[in-house]
Amino acid sequence: MKTDNYDVVVVGSGIAGAVIAKTLTNAGKKVLLLEAGLQAGIALDPEESYKTYQGYLETFYEAGAKVPNSPYPDLKDAPSINILDIVKLQKSNTPSTVGYLVQKGPVPFASDCFRGPGGTTLHWLGTTLRMLPNDFKMKTVYNQNVDWPLTYDELKPYYEMAELEIGVSGDVEEQKYPDIPKDFFGKDYVFPMEKIPQSYLDKEIAKKTDKLKVTLNRKEYELSCISTPQGRNSTPNEDYKYGSIVWDPSKKKLALKTQPKTYNPDGSLWDPYTGQRCEGNASCVPICPVQAKYNALKTLKKATLENLEVITQAVASKINTDDHSGEVTGIEYKIYKHKGSPEYTTATATGTIYVLAASAIENAKILLASNVGNTSDQVGRNLMDHLVLLTWGLTKEKIYPYRGPGSTTNIPTFRDGAFRSEHAAWISPLDNWGWSWPTFSPGSDVTNALNEGVFGKALRNRMNDLVTRQFLLHFEVEQSPDAGNRVTIDPQYLDAIKNYRPVISYGVSEYNLKAFEASKTVSDQIFAANGIEDHTVYNPVTDADYVTYKGQGYTFRGAGHIVGTHRMGFTKDDSVVDKNQRSWEHPNLYLVGCGNMPTLGTSNPTLTMTALTFQAAENILKQLEQ
Amino acid sequence: MTIQRSEKDLFLEISVYLTGFDEAELQGTGMVNTYYQAVLSNNTQPDVAYFFEMVATILQQNEGNEDALNKAISIHLMPASAYSGMAMNIINMWYTGNWGQNVVSGQAYIQGLIWDAAEAHPPGAKQPGYGSWAIPPL
Amino acid sequence: MKLAFSQSNNPQRQKLIKGLHTEARVDTYVKSGNVPLLKEKDSSIKTLAQLHSAFQTAIELEHSTIPPYLVALYSIKDGTNQVATQIIRSVVIEEMLHMILAANILNAIGGEPKINAKNFIPAYPGSLPDSDKSFIINLEKFSKETIDTFLKIEKPAHTNAPPKAKGYHTIGQFYQALMLGLEYVNDHTEGGIFVTDPEKKKRQVTQEHYYGSGGEIVPVYTIKEARLAIEEIVGQGEGIDDTIDDSDEKLFGQGIEYAHYFRFNEILQERMYCEKDTPKSGPTGEKIVVEWDAVHNMKLNPKIKDYQGQPELHEQAKQFNQTYTALLDNIHHACNGEPEMLMKGVGLMYQLKYKAVELMNIPFGDTGEMAGPTFEFEQPKK
Repeated sequence: MKTDNYDVVVVGSGIAGAVIAKTLTNAGKKVLLLEAGLQAGIALDPEESYKTYQGYLETFYEAGAKVPNSPYPDLKDAPSINILDIVKLQKSNTPSTVGYLVQKGPVPFASDCFRGPGGTTLHWLGTTLRMLPNDFKMKTVYNQNVDWPLTYDELKPYYEMAELEIGVSGDVEEQKYPDIPKDFFGKDYVFPMEKIPQSYLDKEIAKKTDKLKVTLNRKEYELSCISTPQGRNSTPNEDYKYGSIVWDPSKKKLALKTQPKTYNPDGSLWDPYTGQRCEGNASCVPICPVQAKYNALKTLKKATLENLEVITQAVASKINTDDHSGEVTGIEYKIYKHKGSPEYTTATATGTIYVLAASAIENAKILLASNVGNTSDQVGRNLMDHLVLLTWGLTKEKIYPYRGPGSTTNIPTFRDGAFRSEHAAWISPLDNWGWSWPTFSPGSDVTNALNEGVFGKALRNRMNDLVTRQFLLHFEVEQSPDAGNRVTIDPQYLDAIKNYRPVISYGVSEYNLKAFEASKTVSDQIFAANGIEDHTVYNPVTDADYVTYKGQGYTFRGAGHIVGTHRMGFTKDDSVVDKNQRSWEHPNLYLVGCGNMPTLGTSNPTLTMTALTFQAAENILKQLEQ
Repeated sequence: MTIQRSEKDLFLEISVYLTGFDEAELQGTGMVNTYYQAVLSNNTQPDVAYFFEMVATILQQNEGNEDALNKAISIHLMPASAYSGMAMNIINMWYTGNWGQNVVSGQAYIQGLIWDAAEAHPPGAKQPGYGSWAIPPL
Repeated sequence: MKLAFSQSNNPQRQKLIKGLHTEARVDTYVKSGNVPLLKEKDSSIKTLAQLHSAFQTAIELEHSTIPPYLVALYSIKDGTNQVATQIIRSVVIEEMLHMILAANILNAIGGEPKINAKNFIPAYPGSLPDSDKSFIINLEKFSKETIDTFLKIEKPAHTNAPPKAKGYHTIGQFYQALMLGLEYVNDHTEGGIFVTDPEKKKRQVTQEHYYGSGGEIVPVYTIKEARLAIEEIVGQGEGIDDTIDDSDEKLFGQGIEYAHYFRFNEILQERMYCEKDTPKSGPTGEKIVVEWDAVHNMKLNPKIKDYQGQPELHEQAKQFNQTYTALLDNIHHACNGEPEMLMKGVGLMYQLKYKAVELMNIPFGDTGEMAGPTFEFEQPKK
């Protein structure tokens, strides 16, 4: 399709952009999609998509450090954040300029994302928890953070759409979170697929952790261990009845459409029979080799292709507006010829409505670069992530980690409660991948043994004894929105094709530090109950995100949950977008993605963001059909 | 009478004692040739020659006596100062697929013995199938 | 180059299945009351006991193709022969499906599949169980000759070939005889032969445990589903006879899932079928890259006793056989009242591959050949 007359111009082909493109083209709208990454990555046909993806996989195998972005192209023309570039900041006024981000601190922002076709869903873990009702009204209930202009109940139908789109496996019956109402899920609601089997490790740990009573700040809590819903394929649930999400022009609403057949898991892009079940590759992050895990290209493949035009290697750089009406008149983008090329040409995309879906950091950057939509001065502010405190140790018996999806069980006990007036909430996923995250095990275990002169059968036995007993626990702490944690731009920091690099100011508030202290207290009690020998080390010298509270040091890590840079709110003075996810100032500009979220809650944000994006798609269709 | 063994044969034989995996297990990875080549290309020719000379000697002197052989390996091969740490690097290569910090090849990563020792599999390869993680390894 | 693996489970496939004569024959011979002809053509299956035995043979027949297909598949070097790998892989999964379908029918008529016994495993070289022994099947690495043998296995029945449960020339003949037998014995047994006891009905393996290739598991409760199951097996396996040149039906092309015979033929001819092709024309579509040399040089028909001179290799081969035997044991239990066991079998199936490839990396003496899996019965260590 070639036309100058697009109904909607979308920037970014990650999950938010893909959902918009699919929903709108299915409803008959003409969509232009601008994607900053390489042409090869957008392939949806069997042959090319297979070739590209096998290329990613081979790159992953050959990568020295198998970090989340390791399989994917890192482009000078559209750089991605790489966690290898997150370095300890020196106490000086000069920011760190290692890598793509310019980090001003006081501590470095610790998460990455992928700029390319399919976006960060290529290396997301796939956890799909909903947020809790109280997460939407933190100010009202706990006098902390802010309220959302939306309630859980308003978002609920869109959660169901997101769960179909992503293809969630889970057991609704087991989803018991603190303080949730009976109708948290609809009556008889089930997920499209049965729960992903919980790991052997989960079951061993749960034996002494489920129903364990722990004390925190003189209050007793009973822990629970429950299965985690996730966007990877398992056995279809025969009771699941939906098949698609369709626009109803008469009611002006999106709706879930039922289908008579049993749900059929979406396989890989290249072969519908590959990836119909999770095969236990244990590499969801960075790459699922069989695409049993959802990625946004699967959504894009369901777009009505004759209504969709995609331009790749096209980096959106500036939004043009009409001074008088406030209407957006076009989005300027730079096209680079090939990977690494410093040469580019500039073009302008025009349409009726414009949607930024380029990730929280990039969306903010484009708005700032255009000086658009920022009357509130909130653009780029309130940058958030889950602050991940890790604790690790050795179990007495073998629990056989390094198998299965990254996490299949979580402890939801501290996701909500009165304590949120005092300190942040958290969720505790049990990790299935041993100590690989904090210590680079098992490679480092080999090195350590060799340095002690261990070899031969003794080495083999040592590895067997050590690696099979490695246990890792997460405390993913909800970061509160802080106006000082922000993305800015500075003309002295530009990338290869003269777009701004994000300049990040970032720190951790006392409300969060208190949660670290509380988490460690809970961790100690879990370890003690399980007879786990604690091997946790927070290193003040080498750990980039080492912080102290009441004399104790803690190291947190990024969760890859980049949220909050263009929050939605109640008025044009307190927020960047309204509850329809539309810019307060520019009536034909929508922002989508995690940047809209005023707070983070304790769920991985992708599901909530996808639900929000369906709502945005509905709002856009309404506006187009006015 | 001892038959003159090639360096490659010696490499395989000493690898058995260095790694704790038997010859068939090592051959089963399909990596013997690649790794022998990696030894040649990552070390100086004199180091390689002296190393295999020592390997031949200690294998011959301690034939049939594993304890003595292990002691000899400890003394003559394992120190970081011996042959630029070649033995340690060889073990690390068999276990992780890396020579030092460098990945020998994608296949080397996949064939890393550490995963077998840990009763697991290399993340992203040799996947054990749906639901396999819910029970102890087979 | 178009990849073969863009095919999806497609109703079009039913066209191929309908082209079969199973139903027509049954109608002709049985429904039209032409009983004398039936007796003359096929008097082999007249009792329930004979049916039980015939469907046990069907299970063994379906299974007997799996080791040779797996050996060919695993002998292909990693990262090469993409299309051929995908084709053989999908065929193997479908053969497992057929095995389960045959077991479902046997369970439906009150039989008990026996899968974990020593004599369940065929010897290679050998012939298809109860066949006319017109060709030999080897455990043999991927090659033109091997694929040619696979074509013989999957060869469609000639239009005029009679149903035959023993001494059949094609698998199609065999299943026609079984279908006739089912109809005959069911019609001549008061109350029919299909079990009605709910406990026995639970022995059916259902679709939820099947994925990864085309087709579906049909739980069998009546003659109707039994017929469907047989159509699934035959339709997916051999497809229609190449003497049929039905110009009205589009048999090939994108989105159509065609039978094993034609998929193997694509490898042999190094070309895909395209829309205008017929069984007679052979594939005339896009070229497939087949790297016949990118193959582990596995010894022909290896036996575990061949490895006695290499104790470590012997141990590896033994472990492979233990995994294989455990897998059969697992399928046996899945088909004998514990269908959920099938999920646990998945892990064994993956293990089988890794162990087979390890064997193919181990030199067999100084012959220049490599070892390989022997697929022999070996009770797993408890």
